[in-house]
Amino acid sequence: MLPLSAAVFSILLALAGSEKHGYAIMKEASLPEGGGVSMGPGTLYGSLDRMMRNGLVEETGFTDNERRRYYRLTRFGQEVFSAEAARLGRMMSAVRRKASLEGVRS
Amino acid sequence: MKDSYPLMAFLYRGALVIYPQRLRAQYRDQMLQTLHDAFRDRPASAVRFWLNAYGDLLQSSLMERIHMVRDSFLHSPLAFHTLALAAILTVIGGAAAFTISQMLRSGANQPQIDMVNYYVGEIASGEEPANVIPPGYVDLERSLQPVVIFYDDHGKAGSGTGYLDQELPTPPAGVFDFVRANGTEKVTWQPRPGVRLASVVQRVNGKHPGFVLAARSLRLVEEQKTTLWRMALGVWLITMLLLIGGASLLHRAQLNKPAAA
Repeated sequence: MLPLSAAVFSILLALAGSEKHGYAIMKEASLPEGGGVSMGPGTLYGSLDRMMRNGLVEETGFTDNERRRYYRLTRFGQEVFSAEAARLGRMMSAVRRKASLEGVRS
Repeated sequence: MKDSYPLMAFLYRGALVIYPQRLRAQYRDQMLQTLHDAFRDRPASAVRFWLNAYGDLLQSSLMERIHMVRDSFLHSPLAFHTLALAAILTVIGGAAAFTISQMLRSGANQPQIDMVNYYVGEIASGEEPANVIPPGYVDLERSLQPVVIFYDDHGKAGSGTGYLDQELPTPPAGVFDFVRANGTEKVTWQPRPGVRLASVVQRVNGKHPGFVLAARSLRLVEEQKTTLWRMALGVWLITMLLLIGGASLLHRAQLNKPAAA
């Protein structure tokens, strides 16, 4: 399943903090700290649908509005999120190491 | 553009028809609500907002349809049978081409096998190698004619008909060691880049111990092998395209069946 697409990882990241509805996910994903992934409703709900079918997220059943449903990570989704975060962390360590080497060279 | 929302949202609702039906049925209300929330909270101009929204709808519709076709195809028995048939045809075609290619290479050892048998017999019976090996000069770089060369027990070229730069070429010492131990060897010998020879080497015992090598250029055979593999690849590509095309048509027909009913 890894590596995840930027959209999927941003959605997982947004839901890692707390359960959210569609627009809240979209907004958080668009922030720099959320991945800076700009997506519209089409991409968001297509991704959410696939993620639900893969068991990464689920609907909470809670709603404050008939047209606004909330989503949360499943246990499997949390595991996948952690694994991807660890993978990216290792990659970033390598990037920093190489960047510092470049700095020493120059 | 503040009042544009009702009209543009109405158009967006209509444009949702391009979004896959299953997703539309399940998420249309949520998509419209998200769109409403995003419009209300938009950082950019309304024009840019709607351009992004419609662009996303167009792109995601295309991507979701590709995902759906891929998922439904890969999980269908038709895909399994198509892939199985493709694998079987690839293995059978590859094996046939490989067998023909090997037959071409084996055939390239004739008439060298007969030649070495004849000259080894003559020399072993006590004849002088220089008297047995016929006079002749064949340029191994250009000619396709078979050649014969006699080497003494130390692997030094004595007499022969095949030349490279006006000298009788000598195979690597390992070839003679192998033949000394095993009696005979059939080997592809490349005395220089671009010159490849189908060679048969046989041990001679008796009064004039040594080795007889008969060889001929592999150029023609390798051209035939190249043509064979190109044809095999072409036939394989056409077969795979026909198979994939046929499977796609069948798949589409299967998808349209419930809709027609």
